[in-house]
Amino acid sequence: MLFKPAVEAARFWNPYTQTLPRAELERLHLRKLQTVIGYAYEHSRMYRALLDRHRVRPEQIRTMDDFVERLPYIDKQEILDAQAVDPPFGDALALPPDFFEQRFATSGSTGAPFHIPLSHRSAALWGESWTYLYWSIGLRPRHSFYFAFNWGIFAAFWSAYMGVRRLGGTVVSGGGLDTTARIKQIEQYRPDVLFATPTYALYFAEAARELGVDLRKTSISYVVVAGEPGGSIPATRQAIEDLWGARCYELYGIAEIGPTNPGCPLQQGVHLCEDWYHALVVDERGVPVPYGEVGEHIVTSYIQDGQPLIKYRTHDLIRWTDEPCGCGTTWLYYPGGVLGRTDHMLIIKGVNVYPSAVEALLHRVGGLTEHYELHAGRDAANDFLTVKVEARSEVAKDDYARLGRQAADVLRSTIGVTIGVDVQAPATLPRYELKAKRFFDHRPAEHRWQLQGRAS
Amino acid sequence: MTREETLARLREITERVRELRDTTDIPALERTMQLVDMYCDIARWELGEITPWTR
Repeated sequence: MLFKPAVEAARFWNPYTQTLPRAELERLHLRKLQTVIGYAYEHSRMYRALLDRHRVRPEQIRTMDDFVERLPYIDKQEILDAQAVDPPFGDALALPPDFFEQRFATSGSTGAPFHIPLSHRSAALWGESWTYLYWSIGLRPRHSFYFAFNWGIFAAFWSAYMGVRRLGGTVVSGGGLDTTARIKQIEQYRPDVLFATPTYALYFAEAARELGVDLRKTSISYVVVAGEPGGSIPATRQAIEDLWGARCYELYGIAEIGPTNPGCPLQQGVHLCEDWYHALVVDERGVPVPYGEVGEHIVTSYIQDGQPLIKYRTHDLIRWTDEPCGCGTTWLYYPGGVLGRTDHMLIIKGVNVYPSAVEALLHRVGGLTEHYELHAGRDAANDFLTVKVEARSEVAKDDYARLGRQAADVLRSTIGVTIGVDVQAPATLPRYELKAKRFFDHRPAEHRWQLQGRAS
Repeated sequence: MTREETLARLREITERVRELRDTTDIPALERTMQLVDMYCDIARWELGEITPWTR
């Protein structure tokens, strides 16, 4: 065996830090933050200019309060502006190119692509963030991991691959294949683990049906999802588990900054990977919210030596807690994973509505599928939301209106506001292999979440 | 440093790394030591010291 038996039986990949008391974790965080701030100031023209503009020098960050109050947040657009000075990395660069192992970029579908340089060290540690998850759910070097994705320039599951290498497991590539070919490959190579977005993991059902394959009878006993919410949404997770006859776990990551949050083995949420990331959760004024509250996830990476990111705005809404988790780790916990995007949050008659909550409730209505879209709009005084969702193929068209009313009742009774539900015929809505586009915002920009206030 | 001196240093590092690898109870550390051990072996092969790779 690659590991000694006693080590192989260990519950955590790094039991030293994963069970460290919070006060000690915080002391470690401060030292790590001071180190990365000093590094960024010395090596990144963008960070030197940013800190000079805010009249703060690295040595002035002596306490966690200094970090919270004196250092500015940074947003994607500021990095894009710095990269545009001398593409691809421009003033955001902090290492000479000979140190790079791999480059990624976002699709740029809503603007210029965001370029991500990874050094060998960064790549290993992007991977390690996944390894905490693998280890905690019982995956070991003897297991094999099937990648149902196309290895493009988008980071996607590349870091999951790096994590399998860090673990010592076996990689089986499903690149360059369609879904049908992937099912056949799974039958041939018999991998233990499938990586896919939640949407794509469920989409396999359609190809499997055509092939006459029962996915529950394949070798897959773990489905690991990422790229969009779903793994921490009970109904979505259950649908994936039922389809594959496997346990479903998730990792929450952010393309620009990496795989920040391996899923909890108890499957109800994710933990912050505190070896390699620091997080704050802030309200619209930029003020940290107490544990237990919802706010925008602000992340600092300790492992982006090519392009440091400190107090980076993710625009993801999460609820954080330092309550002890049943899995045994002391790392911060985000129950329910990502609750939505700050720019997707709606306020309907004074009630905050998150798209993930709507998704979770739709699954409670028999006869509806996982294929849905949310359309946000704004009338004179309020945001409003309409859901388009596909019916299952066995549902008669005459039942669509009744099903829509039933779904609207479920949403109203749980969330407390009226949300229109438009039930559509099967195969009406588009299908996606990576991130599904589910949220369509027709509201004027001034009615979306804005982070205001200090140092933003 | 001569080739012989480099090889002697690599042998010494290998011995210490294996000691850590054999005694740690932290999976992340054991894996890191496995990899350091492997890289030391590669370096020794690159200098012409061919030893069987057993683990």
